[in-house]
Amino acid sequence: MGDVIVITSGKGGVGKTTTTANIGTGFALMGKKVVLIDADIGLRNLDVVMGLENRIVYDLVDVVEGNCRLKQALIRDKRYDSLYLLPAAQTRDKNAVNPEQMKQLCTELAQDFDIVIIDCPAGIEQGFKNAISGASQAIIVTTPEVSAVRDADRIIGLLESEGKHNPKLIINRIRPNMVKKGDMMDIDDIIEILAIDLLGIIPDDDYIIISTNRGEPAVANPVSAASTAYKNIVRRLTGENVPLMKIEANDGFFSRLKKVFNF
Amino acid sequence: MRQYVRFKGSRNGLQLVLDDSVDFTVILENLKTKLESAVVFFTEGTIVEVPAKARVLTTEQQEDLTKLLAVYGLIFCEAVEEQQVIEENKAETEELQPLFVAKTLRSGQEVVYIGSVVIDGDVNPGAEVIAGGDIIIRGTCRGVVHAGAYGNMEATITANRLLASQIRIANLIARAPDNLDQPEYPEIARIQDGNVIIQTVEI
Repeated sequence: MGDVIVITSGKGGVGKTTTTANIGTGFALMGKKVVLIDADIGLRNLDVVMGLENRIVYDLVDVVEGNCRLKQALIRDKRYDSLYLLPAAQTRDKNAVNPEQMKQLCTELAQDFDIVIIDCPAGIEQGFKNAISGASQAIIVTTPEVSAVRDADRIIGLLESEGKHNPKLIINRIRPNMVKKGDMMDIDDIIEILAIDLLGIIPDDDYIIISTNRGEPAVANPVSAASTAYKNIVRRLTGENVPLMKIEANDGFFSRLKKVFNF
Repeated sequence: MRQYVRFKGSRNGLQLVLDDSVDFTVILENLKTKLESAVVFFTEGTIVEVPAKARVLTTEQQEDLTKLLAVYGLIFCEAVEEQQVIEENKAETEELQPLFVAKTLRSGQEVVYIGSVVIDGDVNPGAEVIAGGDIIIRGTCRGVVHAGAYGNMEATITANRLLASQIRIANLIARAPDNLDQPEYPEIARIQDGNVIIQTVEI
């Protein structure tokens, strides 16, 4: 039986879908058999981020309603053979599926795959309830903003009341220069409020926007900082002990020059 | 036959009150007869909660209950302690045991209790504690706290770090100053001369 992980946040726009795509691709790079489920019915995005939009024939709702077999709806990634996507329906809404059906679907997928990752929609309504129902583990994505942290806290509480304990935290879009100046919420402040295990931090990186628009998850790029951060997260999820990335401010030309001359 | 099982309305659906003086098998039997006699009354998909206060159930007992309720289309769920139903009888305030909550309250969660409340954890922003008596928080308080909610002017609020966004005692409301310096010592809030005041706790 594989692991079923839900990636959630409460607030929208913090990077759930990007995180799902990158962690999924990261696992596939390690040779694991992975399936990504887009639970954001009606506002699907994961297919676009993965660059698989034009291959969709059947979707999650078709599977649940019995219009097709599960295998028919799974789309194989164009780069990695062990990576699959189960896309969401775009013409329906969250009420087209119920938590019981999602649970069944996840159990079925967990038999064939090492890792099942569910991309949860924003909000705490039906879509959220569907997405978390089949998961055995949860990853919360937040950004260093007061509103995102507040929503993450609410989500942790809701997960607890559904019997899903010990979620892990990813802090996304950290800007080293701002943290250094004290203008951005610091990692310790966030951990103090949320009081859950930190899985990783991801620096704000322009390459994420480029890769998302191209439909190629950033994790495959060897030089981008965000991709290294995602790789570290995947390694931590497999049980490896990887130290947190150092968030270093991007030094200007003169400070680099100083370093060279050992001032 | 004596009734060991009672249904009560609650915010989420139904609440199941189980007598804790008899054996669990008797309870199950009793529940089954009750469900059988009123199949029409129980709408499918209704959530049934069992308040932890009434009877502590083992995992197997919970499973048995879940199975039995599922036959009639009802969903079993363990009641969360924060949704304690407020007892009507206010005269009991004096002799009430304080409610002990051994966890951090997160945004959106609330504790409502007629007596005093002790929280062994933090109260995060967006969480609420409403107590008829005193409130004691053994962590950081960043949420909204209301002590003496039923008119007790003597009620106090104590926290290891009192950073509450709003403090209410009886009918008074105090808001945190917009530039609050963060205290690193325990503080207590109470009413003095018609105002809410905050003092350092002497240990």
